[in-house]
Amino acid sequence: MRLVVPHPGHFAALKEIIEVKEAEGLNEVVEVYMAGSPEVMGSGRATLHSARIADIKEQTAYAHQHDLKMNIVVNPSCLGGYHLTFEGYKLFKRYFEELNKADVDGVTVAEPYFIELLRDFSMETVVSCIAHVDSPQRAEFFEDLGADTIAVDTNINRNFAVLEAITKAVNCDLKVLVNEGCLYKCPFRHAHFNLFSHITSSRSSLMKAQSPNIFSDYYFDKCISMRVRDPSQIIRSPWIRPEDMQEYEAIGINHFKISGRANAVNWIINCMVAYARRSFNGNLLELIDCPSELRYTFHLDNELLEGSIKQWKTCKKICDECRYCDELTAKVLRVHEK
Amino acid sequence: MKEEIIEGRRRLEEELRKLVGNIFVPEAKVFGMACGCVGFAADLRGLQSDAVEVFTEKINAILEEISESVGVKPEIIYARKLPGSEEVVVLTTRDLCERCRNEFAGSKAPPRPDIMMLKKKRRR
Repeated sequence: MRLVVPHPGHFAALKEIIEVKEAEGLNEVVEVYMAGSPEVMGSGRATLHSARIADIKEQTAYAHQHDLKMNIVVNPSCLGGYHLTFEGYKLFKRYFEELNKADVDGVTVAEPYFIELLRDFSMETVVSCIAHVDSPQRAEFFEDLGADTIAVDTNINRNFAVLEAITKAVNCDLKVLVNEGCLYKCPFRHAHFNLFSHITSSRSSLMKAQSPNIFSDYYFDKCISMRVRDPSQIIRSPWIRPEDMQEYEAIGINHFKISGRANAVNWIINCMVAYARRSFNGNLLELIDCPSELRYTFHLDNELLEGSIKQWKTCKKICDECRYCDELTAKVLRVHEK
Repeated sequence: MKEEIIEGRRRLEEELRKLVGNIFVPEAKVFGMACGCVGFAADLRGLQSDAVEVFTEKINAILEEISESVGVKPEIIYARKLPGSEEVVVLTTRDLCERCRNEFAGSKAPPRPDIMMLKKKRRR
């Protein structure tokens, strides 16, 4: 197993993550990833740190001293066409050159054009899950563009037939996100990534001091409300229990990524330890990268979920007929009583 | 309580203006979270992280007084920056629940890059 761990971006956090990794002997942890520079481009998810090249270089060197790879995530789903202007081309090409000079090991992108641009560099080109690779066909397209690794669409995390077909269709490395807490087949997914892509970019008018602020993150608020009203949606989310990673290894996927780079460093460390040890006792929502309101509201007993992967592996995903997750919800999920 | 919050907002704004210059505190509130944390938070405009670094002790003293006046004994005091910038947008005092004590105050590093930890009391 190779485990990839999020890094919020500030150097002190990296030191603490590495300190725990080494103290606990977590040799499965092989890589950390952090967001790139908002001044250059946004990101598909919340970005709380503005990493300069010098900062990235220093942190990469530190990671290497501790036998860890460094991946920089620059995965906006929308650049508003700027990347296809000469100005944008020059900026992004230069940025990739700078990352390469900083000795970064890999770059995660969602934009297909960037995958081609990255062919000129020795850095590993990783396709973000935001590129929604959900079929052998799509995986082949991205491999042909130059992908070294593909993080598959989380919507297929529990579709083993498709996962296995992808492993057979491409030669590049595949990885799965283990703890993304998004709604299965979320109707907001593309729109939400697009929103983040713009609001995390310093170039966006939404980041300018005089611009009107957006009135709310509609998708975020709506997603929480939907799950509070229908908690079975929490069970249907395509997270993977630490104990179930072996099922993925059995079909040839041994590369796992923990999501949650916008979370507190101790939260990240807890996730790292649980997934590296393949074991967790307690409320599984503590490991899931989901709004903290859900953790405060619900308790999802990880032990009671034992064996559910057998159903999900062969599930046809026709929830209206199946109802397995609804029945499971009643058994494993309860509202916190205070 | 209403009077104390109003007075707390006014006083924080006044003290920050004395220390730093033109600072605006548009809103102050006492909050209680589902997890069990309670706290006092003041939204800010005009304050930057370097000023917070320079005046940390004075800001802590002011916030501690205001916080206690609204019934919150602060276990931690922190400033939250606008991600990717040096603009400080909220100052918060918080009495932590068990869960957040580990997650928020249990690391040597600031819990997140947008958080400046100004004060962390030892666990009682």
